[in-house]
Amino acid sequence: MPQDSKPPSSKPAAAALDPITFAVVKNAMDAIVDEIAYTVIRTAKSEIVKDVMDYSAAICDARGEMVAQAKTIAQHLGAIPEAMASVQARWAGRIAPGDAIILNDPYLGGMHLPDIFMFHPVFHEGAVLAWIVVICHHTDVGGRVPGSNAADSTEIFQEGLRLPPLKLFEAGRINETLEAVIAINVRVPDRVLGDLHAQHAACQVGAREIGRMIQRYGGAGFSGYLDALLDYAERMTREEIRTWPDGTYRFTDHIDSDGLSDAPVPLSVAITVAGDQLTVDWAGSSPQVRAAINSTLSYTKSNTFLSVRCALKGDIPNNAGVFRAITVTAPEGSVLNPQPPAAVAARALTGYRVMDTMFGALAQIVPDVMPAAGEGGNTVVCIAGRKPDRSPFIVVDMISGCWGGRPDQDGIEAITNPSQNLSNAPVEVMERTHPVRIESYALVPDSCGAGRWRGGLGLERSYRLLADEAVLQLRADRVLYAPYGLDGGGTGGPAGNWLGEGAARRALPGKVTMEMRRGEVLTHHQAGGGGHGDPFARDPERVAHDVWNGKVSVEFARTRHGVAVDAATGTVDAAETTRLREARNS
Amino acid sequence: MAPEYGSTSPRSTGEASLPAGGARIGVDVGGTFTDVVLALASGRIILNKTTTTPRDPGEGVVAGIDAVLAEAGIAPGLVGEIVHGTTVASNTILQKVGARTGLVTTLGFRDVLEIGRIRTPGMFDLGWKKPEPLVPRRWRLEVAGRIGADGATVTPLDEEAVRAAARFFLAEGVEAVAVCFINSYVDAAQERRAVEILRAEAPQILVTASCEVLPEIKEYERTSTAVVNAYLLPAMRVYLGQLTRRLAERGITAPVQVMASNGGMVGIATAGSKPVFAVGSGPAGGVTGAARIGHAVGAPDLIVFDMGGTTAKASIIEGGMPSLVTEYEFRDGISSPSRFIKGGGYMLKVPAIDIAEVGSGGGSIARIDAGGLLVVGPESAGGDPGPACYGRGNRRPTVTDANMALGLLNPQALAGGSLPVDPALSLAAIQVEVADPLGIDAIAAAHGIRQVANVNMARAIRAVTVERGKDPRDMALMAFGGGGPLHAVDVARLLGIRRVLISPVAGVFSAAGMLSAEAEHSFVRAILAPLATVPDAALDAARTALAADGREALAAEGYGGAAATLRFSADLRYAGQSSELTVPIVADLDVGGLAAGGLDPAGLDASRRAALAEAFHRLYAETFGYRADEPVELVNLRLTAVGTAAGRLDFDRIDLDPSALAGNSGSRMVSFERGCPPVATRLAPRSAVADGPIAGPAIIESYDTTIVVPPGCTARAAAAGCIAIDLDPA
Repeated sequence: MPQDSKPPSSKPAAAALDPITFAVVKNAMDAIVDEIAYTVIRTAKSEIVKDVMDYSAAICDARGEMVAQAKTIAQHLGAIPEAMASVQARWAGRIAPGDAIILNDPYLGGMHLPDIFMFHPVFHEGAVLAWIVVICHHTDVGGRVPGSNAADSTEIFQEGLRLPPLKLFEAGRINETLEAVIAINVRVPDRVLGDLHAQHAACQVGAREIGRMIQRYGGAGFSGYLDALLDYAERMTREEIRTWPDGTYRFTDHIDSDGLSDAPVPLSVAITVAGDQLTVDWAGSSPQVRAAINSTLSYTKSNTFLSVRCALKGDIPNNAGVFRAITVTAPEGSVLNPQPPAAVAARALTGYRVMDTMFGALAQIVPDVMPAAGEGGNTVVCIAGRKPDRSPFIVVDMISGCWGGRPDQDGIEAITNPSQNLSNAPVEVMERTHPVRIESYALVPDSCGAGRWRGGLGLERSYRLLADEAVLQLRADRVLYAPYGLDGGGTGGPAGNWLGEGAARRALPGKVTMEMRRGEVLTHHQAGGGGHGDPFARDPERVAHDVWNGKVSVEFARTRHGVAVDAATGTVDAAETTRLREARNS
Repeated sequence: MAPEYGSTSPRSTGEASLPAGGARIGVDVGGTFTDVVLALASGRIILNKTTTTPRDPGEGVVAGIDAVLAEAGIAPGLVGEIVHGTTVASNTILQKVGARTGLVTTLGFRDVLEIGRIRTPGMFDLGWKKPEPLVPRRWRLEVAGRIGADGATVTPLDEEAVRAAARFFLAEGVEAVAVCFINSYVDAAQERRAVEILRAEAPQILVTASCEVLPEIKEYERTSTAVVNAYLLPAMRVYLGQLTRRLAERGITAPVQVMASNGGMVGIATAGSKPVFAVGSGPAGGVTGAARIGHAVGAPDLIVFDMGGTTAKASIIEGGMPSLVTEYEFRDGISSPSRFIKGGGYMLKVPAIDIAEVGSGGGSIARIDAGGLLVVGPESAGGDPGPACYGRGNRRPTVTDANMALGLLNPQALAGGSLPVDPALSLAAIQVEVADPLGIDAIAAAHGIRQVANVNMARAIRAVTVERGKDPRDMALMAFGGGGPLHAVDVARLLGIRRVLISPVAGVFSAAGMLSAEAEHSFVRAILAPLATVPDAALDAARTALAADGREALAAEGYGGAAATLRFSADLRYAGQSSELTVPIVADLDVGGLAAGGLDPAGLDASRRAALAEAFHRLYAETFGYRADEPVELVNLRLTAVGTAAGRLDFDRIDLDPSALAGNSGSRMVSFERGCPPVATRLAPRSAVADGPIAGPAIIESYDTTIVVPPGCTARAAAAGCIAIDLDPA
């Protein structure tokens, strides 16, 4: 079984370091890593990086342990250790200043092929003292469908260009062979190479700034402070875990299906708290599946770490010290540790469900922190066809959702999944760029799970096709297994897809590939969040406010919360409410 | 009453008969103090600092104005103009006390305002609270009517639905309404018609059309901007109306100008109809003043560093102009120094000075966290109870306490002697809260607190320089605010900056800076076409409409002829990108350019367009480090219409009261470096720099600020009332 935790660092104790300089170095590292991330967004060419912000940045120490992470896609970062190990395995002893190594192979630490990692060493007196790491989701890396992200591939060989750790830059000069191979294998080479250059520009900014810090503190001094930063995060993490009750906590959640068969895909976790150490075991989860929703072990770990990080209350730095307190295992050949050549492109969905499953188990450990389930990950809508002038277009739209009810407040609606920090594409920009008209972008009333603290409402978005025809690819989940509630809270409203309008509107499955014709309207409802706590214990005034504010109906208030509300004024009928609530309890 | 600054007995000014326009007054209402600066045509400056009256800020304003007029011996009728930086707009949002606001929008898009851009400002925070939309869902009403992206009418406006909306708003007691329809940036006819109907049906409701405040693509940004404007309308109008009345009661009939977020001034009528442009009014005056001083001292590129009690702010001046952003998020608490994080506030897509703010001020509290890390701010002791040394009950050490413990601040009293302090309380707080937990001595801990605060503040400066592709080492740092001159040299060192400038009247500099502002009105027209092939007719139509708007706005405030200037610029981007750079359309794009001050965009023939594209390529390469060989898209044409006031403050000619420059002489022991013993340090009044350079170590005290000159640095008098401190090359 793979092990990823390390024993507590045996480096010189932090006491040997100056506490003031330590605080200064920590703040400076946070500033530099944000600067790296900022350089990416300002220089990238693709919408998915610039608008949707699907990228991330980190600084690692000489061994590849992540020391600082920018406030970007959290989900990416837990994968860095595995990817770094592959880089070291291939290139150790052959790394020179000015090199930049790229990698995307999911079986060598990558996540799925569109995510290309770039590793850039920082040298001091002939030795590598740090690494800058920038990961971007690229628009296309070849393979059988545009975007290289099909959920219905069955082998990784269908998914695009696989890159083991290779030097894209050697001593500062681009490797023209590799560049040409990439350019000819992808559908939009200008975007992909443009974004790779953005990654490289950002790496250089990071390397320059880290170089200045090494100048200031000396090589050994600088490394000592990096060690101390990792120890600091580990110490804070372990201190908090020590306050958690020892024991083993289990939870199971499901993916509706892999889209190729109707079989549900269960994910089961057992978290064991023993002192200040966590062991997370995914035994009992589904075997690997045919379609491309398999999550490589590195991605499974990444989402597992991230879930624990969300459960920690302390203001702990975003570094690998946190990971040291957590051991993760998943059975070989399972959907959470697939063996080649399983397809993995659409593994994001499984990552979201890993988070949901972890949250369900963590809610038993820290019930005062964890929310009920949110929407379960963004829906991806892809509409591809030709404009009247025969030029091709591809709409790739991601629809986010909401959070579940929380222990002390309602779930947020219209919000990125906590594992991401995605944005949304402006309606007017989409209409200007593509032959579609967005007919609605709105909250869906009554789609929340009821609870003492209700879940967020789901989102609706609908698209009318203005071109003659197009191929629609839609990847939604939570149509069958709706977001769970906690502590007596109700499940959230399920996701749904429809084609057509009015009486002619018909439901579509969650995952679908089909033709769309001019004038047809596709409507998607994202799932609503689960509720937290007994719905009949919700403050009647809050229920009434939701009715007044058009978020839940009078009927919902009455049946789900036992509150009678006057629709016109939004006032509570106290006597009737008492009667409704007592009727349930009797 | 408040402590007064420079309050000597009135001198005989001989200015009782000065021409109207000769006396101008700048007013900056801050959280703690209201600063008033009176400038006479002779260059004489009179200052006053009075306590802010939060419940009715106008009260403090007129109290301050009364005081400076009395001191100057000037009749109210001789005041030519009042320039006002106000926090009314920002406080109205922060305290959620704006209008009961409604929204009318396109069928299907009721929730655009609440959905926003989906992101969260932090990670891992499951307890985050998303800001409540300023319009509840109940008052967001949809009406049928749809314009396509190509401007074609897909569905005609349902006028009856708009009338029904007006009736509903009246019944619900809604006071202000924003109207924003999808694609109104292409064709606003339906939106304008809806506004017409609302105004006719409900004349008592104030209405903002999105196309009037922001005729640009992106529905959320436009909706949010229009909603914030509507939300602020009643509060701003009431405030400005009361202020005008109060001034009139005193015989002051001079026009009142309001500082806008972009550093320009707008008249009271504009401020009352487009208050969204004044949300960043407060900090704008200082930056504008810094730009003016930059001109006077020959430093057109400056970093502006303003450190107050709760936060520190950084911005930059380039080529003599403040650097602007075209959108920002206004939020409670401290704006993140890392600006790619969005989602924490209310989106305002209006031009604003690009200011990065961090939670490091004199009142920021130092503590040791659970992991043993020294943390400073953003929690602040504020002005009350204030730092530990105030002796008002706070026992947690602040940045001011660290400065006090090191000997950098006057150990008897602050604020010109009006605020007694006790350094022993500072030392005790540092000992218990920081030194003991870290196992170091209190002086070392005080250095640590200062150093961590300095690193945080340097981060704000990095956000406006390095993150924008500018090297701070090429620029001078201009410091003001209560704490700026205390920390400026150390912050400069962290960034490799070699020259620090301390502004004149540093403690009230924002109010003074307002008097150097120009009247500015910004207008924009969406174009969205390849620069090379956009039809001349489209450019000409946009330019004509913009110029008409600009001249009309200036004329309404009395600026015409030579006092009025039109500056056009273009928002450009590489085709396929989503964010633009604004490139000025200036005469030297091309030697055949039109009148100085700006190239008329109607004259953009092929070669001039190529020159404009080249200017964009250069700016892009400078900002992002590479240039692309790709078509350039013209997103918007912009106009800044500028009016120059006759009595605009010229820092080169200011004449400060000697009392404003007075301070203690002598020496005291100051600890400048951790691990080194304290050194005997010269104390000098600000006026002493006139007699020759002051070599560090030295502390220069005046009423409104304390300037630290560390060992190895030398302070010299510079132009425009500044003090320049050159750092040793090490």
